[in-house]
Amino acid sequence: MDTDRSWIVTLADADAVDPAFIGNKAANLARLIQAGHHVPDGFCLTTAAYQRFIREQGLGPIIQMELRRKPLATMRWEELWDVALRIRSAFLSAEIDDDLSHAIEVAAGKFPGARSWVVRSSAPGEDSSLRSFAGLHESIVGVCGLEEIRDAVRKVWASLWSDAALLYGQESPLDPLQSAMAVVIQERVEATPSGVAFARDPRDQRSSYAIVEAVPGYCSDLVDGVVDPDRWLIHRESGAIAQWKPGKRGQAEETAPLLSEQALHALQKSLTSIESLFGWAPDIEWTGCANELTILQARPITSGKTDPADPRAWYLSLKLGPNVLRRLATLVTETRIPQLQADGERLMDEVLESLDDQELADTIETRSSILNHWKKIYRDEFIPFADGVRHLGRYYNDTVRPDDPYEFVGLLKGQPMLASQRNHKLRSLADWVKTHPEVETALKRYLAERSADFDWTQAYQSIAQLSAGAEFVEQFKALLAKDMDIVFGEERLGDHPERVLRTLLQLGQPVSRDVGNDYPVQGYTGSVAELEKRLFDAAGSEKLQEAREILHIGRLSWKLRDDDNLLVARLESQLLRALRLGAQRLMASGRLSEKVGERVREKVTSRVVDALRDPNAPCSDWPIEETSEERPPLQSRESARQLIGQPAAPGVASGPVCRVRNALDLGRFRQGSVLVCDAIQPMMTHIVPLATAIIERRGGMLIHGAIIARELRIPCVNGIDRAVEVLSDDEWVTVDGYLGIVTLGHADFDLETGSN
Amino acid sequence: MTGHHFPDEPLLATEIEPGHSSTDEPNGLEARIRLLLNTEPFAVLCTQGQGQPYGSVVAFAASSDLTALAFSTPVTTRKYRLLTEGDRIAVVVDNRPRHREDMTQVEAVTLTGRARLLPQGPEREQWAAALVSRHAYLKTFIAAPTTALFCVDIVRCLYVTRFQEVHQWIPTGPGS
Repeated sequence: MDTDRSWIVTLADADAVDPAFIGNKAANLARLIQAGHHVPDGFCLTTAAYQRFIREQGLGPIIQMELRRKPLATMRWEELWDVALRIRSAFLSAEIDDDLSHAIEVAAGKFPGARSWVVRSSAPGEDSSLRSFAGLHESIVGVCGLEEIRDAVRKVWASLWSDAALLYGQESPLDPLQSAMAVVIQERVEATPSGVAFARDPRDQRSSYAIVEAVPGYCSDLVDGVVDPDRWLIHRESGAIAQWKPGKRGQAEETAPLLSEQALHALQKSLTSIESLFGWAPDIEWTGCANELTILQARPITSGKTDPADPRAWYLSLKLGPNVLRRLATLVTETRIPQLQADGERLMDEVLESLDDQELADTIETRSSILNHWKKIYRDEFIPFADGVRHLGRYYNDTVRPDDPYEFVGLLKGQPMLASQRNHKLRSLADWVKTHPEVETALKRYLAERSADFDWTQAYQSIAQLSAGAEFVEQFKALLAKDMDIVFGEERLGDHPERVLRTLLQLGQPVSRDVGNDYPVQGYTGSVAELEKRLFDAAGSEKLQEAREILHIGRLSWKLRDDDNLLVARLESQLLRALRLGAQRLMASGRLSEKVGERVREKVTSRVVDALRDPNAPCSDWPIEETSEERPPLQSRESARQLIGQPAAPGVASGPVCRVRNALDLGRFRQGSVLVCDAIQPMMTHIVPLATAIIERRGGMLIHGAIIARELRIPCVNGIDRAVEVLSDDEWVTVDGYLGIVTLGHADFDLETGSN
Repeated sequence: MTGHHFPDEPLLATEIEPGHSSTDEPNGLEARIRLLLNTEPFAVLCTQGQGQPYGSVVAFAASSDLTALAFSTPVTTRKYRLLTEGDRIAVVVDNRPRHREDMTQVEAVTLTGRARLLPQGPEREQWAAALVSRHAYLKTFIAAPTTALFCVDIVRCLYVTRFQEVHQWIPTGPGS
């Protein structure tokens, strides 16, 4: 079967071919052609071509290694994105061999009139009525010339292993050696208008109405959200037009419908005919109208309803096109972040102590609703905008074709983030203390002597008596008030100066990493400016503006994903400040026990409000449980020896584990320890320079911890399943950030010499 | 004769003249060993330390003249430490999975020899290329600075089949 005949099937001849060989999309198009619908000319590159490419280029074992090195089910979507990126990079750096390339050239040559092509995925199983989702694989529009076709084919092939496909295949992953992808290569039909149409309203499978959407120009403009479409509801039985909603393509809504009644009826007729042909209600893409109607593709309508408990659909919604990203960039940076910042500062400035109980209750409610408002925006806008970094990554790799698929991360270095500014202030103060030994000695003494009832006010007063002590006190207090007014692990960091001070005193010391200094830095080590030049040179003058904009948005997106966390944590801190004050009053009046009052959290907001408003409201049953340390039951004869994760920052280092799960752990963190946490958050990055190495449960090359570790040159392995549970404090570990391996125990491993 | 080339290699089987097997024949001992090494991608590496043997599965590549093979390991592993402490090792390559139902058809070759860490340089690059050519998924792993490549200079090959039939073949010697 491995011949050029088995690699290529023209769409006109494809109706007799097994869909397992050409994929469902091609099979559907072939049936449409046979039934007399007008479909753009083209051909299909069969699954045999894919399999030949994989075999010839040795890609099978590479995919296997990516998919099976760690259980897919333990990977978050960020890790799956990384896996997909690396596989895509391997596909793009592999060449289509001469025979296959020649077969594609011959097939394309049979359509001499084609100036531009559309290259679409056609995986077996894709676009079938059994699948409840669409858009897992890639389609590329506007492909010109053989070289671009070859390039597009490799991208579409790689999308068999896209993050979305992996996400939906987590429970039953495809077999890397058996799975295959066919590709449809069609002439691009440049008619107008274009649009999509659903034989039934996709939100309601029992609906009596079909839906038609149309835009002037290409269908891709509608699918990518570039142009707002006109929209019609058409009764399925009578064909009567029940509703027209004009699109807004200029300053105002259009005044005349884009499609005539005749064109709408032709579309409705096609929908009915396709439904009867396939036996399922179709979702079609079309172009041209009335007698010139061309069907671009037809697939079963996927259910509009998604399980709210299934986060996969939400993740897929985070993949944004350039236009949406552009709009979000403007909205987020020009409106949202300044508003969020202003809200935080306003709340910080409010004096709460002079409020009576009723006013305090009102204030708490207001703060709670402000926080909830921003949490919603965080989810709806800030998290989606983080796709800007991933978009930059894809664009950089497609344009530059680097050996290292993460080379683009170097472009994100040195962004002026709020957390970096805070860390810089802390570091400067640490350096200042080093040059003032009298202050340093006094601070160390205070920390050593500190007991539970240590009074910081007194400590400040006596430090202020020292030469230059007042300067320190002023700077330290400003740091606490401005930069540490954030919540981490449900505690306000500024409420515990001693923890911040412990970190500060250690920051002045150099960190020694006992292993790994001899190893070279891998990958491209050019400066930010050199990387920029690489990108712009590869983009060329024609796409320079596009490259600049994508880089700009990527950087904004990267900066924002750090800043937004801190700014929301500041709002949380301001709510907690008000809650604490309320709790203090309730404790003072004897209504609230000290045990509960000291542990007031955001989740008891309504209880505090009720108690402040109503002197008879009970304060005894607030849901404040002790945080228990969750450790899995350890089998007495079982222990981990080597854990596998992602190599997130190069280098290798050993040290004792220090787990950071809450604000208390931040204060406990000692220089030279290996930082083990669920995920490094911007609220805790000030302790990162103290770490000799980093281990995180959350995986991904683009998460906070990975990028900070790379900037600070700290070896980091992330994506270690249950890292915080599996590792114990003070346990000795070696972190290999080149290979993504964490080895437990000292390097000098005991051998079984028969003693037991 | 072998003692001449490897004076401290203990004799583990009845000595046969080096290169004495019918190397030119398609079904000769050398050809069968070569086929096994070229077909089976993985081997069991046997190391030792403080009198304690230790075994590890490794992906390997062998030279075409069967005088050497190479494998890789992270430097943080037990086998790495044992290899740096003692270079006498054995490597077992076999085809058990192909003959689960018939023990007599299982072929195994036990290679003994000396392992040496390959420093950066042309020899390491050649072996790295050979390993990646055979195991494409190892490309990133082998390129990592914390991955060590070892070359095993093979002293002798003990080929076993038909349950207990054992032949020895010496890859380097006057007959080779």
